[in-house]
Amino acid sequence: VISPARERLDQPPFSQPQAEKRAWLTTAVGALTRHHYAHSSTYRDVVDRVFGGLDAVDFSCLEGLPFLPVSLFKTHALKSVPDSDVLKVLTSSGTTGQAVSRVFVDAETSQVQSAVLIRVAQQFLGRDRLPMVVLDHEDVLRDRASYSARGAGILGMLQFGRQPFYALRPDMSLDLDGLQAYLERARGQRVLLFGFTWMVWQHFAEALAARGARLDLPQGVLVHSGGWKKLVDLQVGPERFRERLREVTGIPSVINFYGMVEQVGSIYFEDELHHLHAPVFSEVIVRDPVTLAPLPDGEPGLIQVVSSLPVSYPGHSLLTEDLGVVRGADLPGTSLCGRSFDILGRVPRAELRGCSDTFVAAPA
Amino acid sequence: VSRVNASVARPWAGLDALVEPLAPGPGGEGVEAFLSRTLAPGAYAAPFAPARLEALRGLSEALLAHPLLGRDPATTAVAFWMRPAAIAKLRASFDARVPSAAGTVIVPVGRVFHLAPANVDTMFVYSWALSFLCGNANVVRLSRERGAVVEAILEVLRGTARSHPLIADENRFVTYEHDAEVTTALSAWCSHRVIWGGDEAVATIRPLPLPSHASERVFGSKFSYSVFAAPAYAAASDAQRQQLASAFFNDMFWFDQMACSSPHLLFWVGDAAATTAAVGAFEEALEAEIVRRRFVTQAASAVHRRAYAFELAADADVRVRLGHPGFVGIEVRDERGLERTICGGGLLRHARLDRIEEVAGYAIESDQTVTHFGFAADALTALAPALGARGVDRLVPVGEALAFDPVWDGFDLFADFTRRIRVKPA
Repeated sequence: VISPARERLDQPPFSQPQAEKRAWLTTAVGALTRHHYAHSSTYRDVVDRVFGGLDAVDFSCLEGLPFLPVSLFKTHALKSVPDSDVLKVLTSSGTTGQAVSRVFVDAETSQVQSAVLIRVAQQFLGRDRLPMVVLDHEDVLRDRASYSARGAGILGMLQFGRQPFYALRPDMSLDLDGLQAYLERARGQRVLLFGFTWMVWQHFAEALAARGARLDLPQGVLVHSGGWKKLVDLQVGPERFRERLREVTGIPSVINFYGMVEQVGSIYFEDELHHLHAPVFSEVIVRDPVTLAPLPDGEPGLIQVVSSLPVSYPGHSLLTEDLGVVRGADLPGTSLCGRSFDILGRVPRAELRGCSDTFVAAPA
Repeated sequence: VSRVNASVARPWAGLDALVEPLAPGPGGEGVEAFLSRTLAPGAYAAPFAPARLEALRGLSEALLAHPLLGRDPATTAVAFWMRPAAIAKLRASFDARVPSAAGTVIVPVGRVFHLAPANVDTMFVYSWALSFLCGNANVVRLSRERGAVVEAILEVLRGTARSHPLIADENRFVTYEHDAEVTTALSAWCSHRVIWGGDEAVATIRPLPLPSHASERVFGSKFSYSVFAAPAYAAASDAQRQQLASAFFNDMFWFDQMACSSPHLLFWVGDAAATTAAVGAFEEALEAEIVRRRFVTQAASAVHRRAYAFELAADADVRVRLGHPGFVGIEVRDERGLERTICGGGLLRHARLDRIEEVAGYAIESDQTVTHFGFAADALTALAPALGARGVDRLVPVGEALAFDPVWDGFDLFADFTRRIRVKPA
């Protein structure tokens, strides 16, 4: 089975105006819906039992297609290929005791994931592989069991850089001397830096500031991803984050991205307007968290991610537990076609305990 | 090094540093001094003495007058339950338990240690008030995680204690980190220990020693459901249906559907056609009631129950309806959909039965409350022995799932909180 995403690999990933992109993506994801329905018995059961079967599905728009909550990958093995075709099983991060997602990837899905990731990332990072600083320590790649998502994220980014230097020691302290020596050798070249948002802040920006050190990287590109929760607790927003990094490193270009192990390859980078941006291969839909009604641009709600990539597992339409807002499509101020959106945080875990938060207004 | 010396008769030296008094304090006698004082053999405290009734009346009035609690239906319920008229009924049922001519005198069990559940805010008030009425000294341990309702109830308790010294003299509402040594020290004081709190709390606390003359009651996790007669629902008027939905709303949505008695499954007894029609109409009526009460689902609850529904759909032959904003409705079509996993937060499963007797086939020991609609008294009475033998503790009308009863999980709390002294003249 060929992934529909292949149909768009030869075109620039942000060149199709929203209406055209939507028309293509709706057909592509509709085809994936039928494919997974035919090949995954669990997916078929869920579509029959929750959405009333394919006959009841509105294939005319993305919003009408069935979706799965992303949590289902933690409790069920969702596969649309025989076990013998499974090339690798991706797992999500998870703190001790939490269930992890398992994502079954075959050769076709894996190839398309890589191809799409490269095309989307090149739009933001350029085609050349740059000297690369990983704002983490190398051991996370060895200790795959406990850091699988962190390690996988680094491995994914390594293909956009060369001669990686790991700037943190295993105790998370910054190896400033080693970093400065590496940057000296790369003087005059663009340098790619990558890390997880919280660690970039805590173990890089704040660590530099604490030592009174300042780097000079006017050609640097810093890419980061991961949750903002800890930074929100410190009242550090995206603007403050970028500003701080400029202060201590001189890096002009700080780019956030959003993605998840359940949709590897469907990645959303930050555009010139500092919104995340959907390429032709995928889309975000914002729904009311309770009624699931699709919300108009500007209204915050629950993020659904739709992807034309996966053929080996039914992860083409997923309801996340992230909150976000669509800012618009084909927006002026960016050269990119497609939707711009922001991630606003995560729905808190249900603390079903008492009635303290469920006061009921007495009817008159 | 042990922080609490358990080897002496009064192993609570050091407790004041570990136990946080919540009410009646603050100030005054610490927990250690309270335990030592109330341990001394005291004078007979008569159950239902006027000062006790007065104290509960004062508490009831203060709860209803509180700006937050007066609007909280669960607190309102406990406040009504403590009003003089309601206590008089309680007393009648207490007196009826032991005919006075039988040569039996009832005395308080003495000192009761209550371990309150975290999921039902008001349960500690019922447990404490019954024991207080019976004439006992009480230590009530509350969770470290207390919501606004519990905090407000404690505030009211502190205020009421100032005008009713009996509350301050005989009772301590406390909290402490989960700490087996503290629980053991407090257990050494008591003559009866009651654990409300589910399987995990029971498993943790039950092994901790009690004095050799102390008794114990534990309440493990329970599962509850409903049984409706489909023909009776078909025959019901719109007004009756609305009333039923309103009563069911209380059973289902109080305490986020996480109380032991909150229904999770609704068995319809009737043929397939009548049941399908009834399920649809009932869900519409329930949604209308949710709208009428302006009850708003939290995003976290919506995400939680949806995840549960999809998981169930992946495993069992069910039909999930995500269309109601206020809850998720699920029609169960095979056995796997009847599993006793608790979702909570607004999720209701429907299943169909041909005959009411089949409910007994489903019941097991960990089941608690069956709420019913549309059955004649004799049908319920006929069902009760079979249902009870398998585990179910209560059969009550829809709307009364969460109503407190001194007979709980089949055990008489009045009997637990008292001792019977046999008097036989020569």
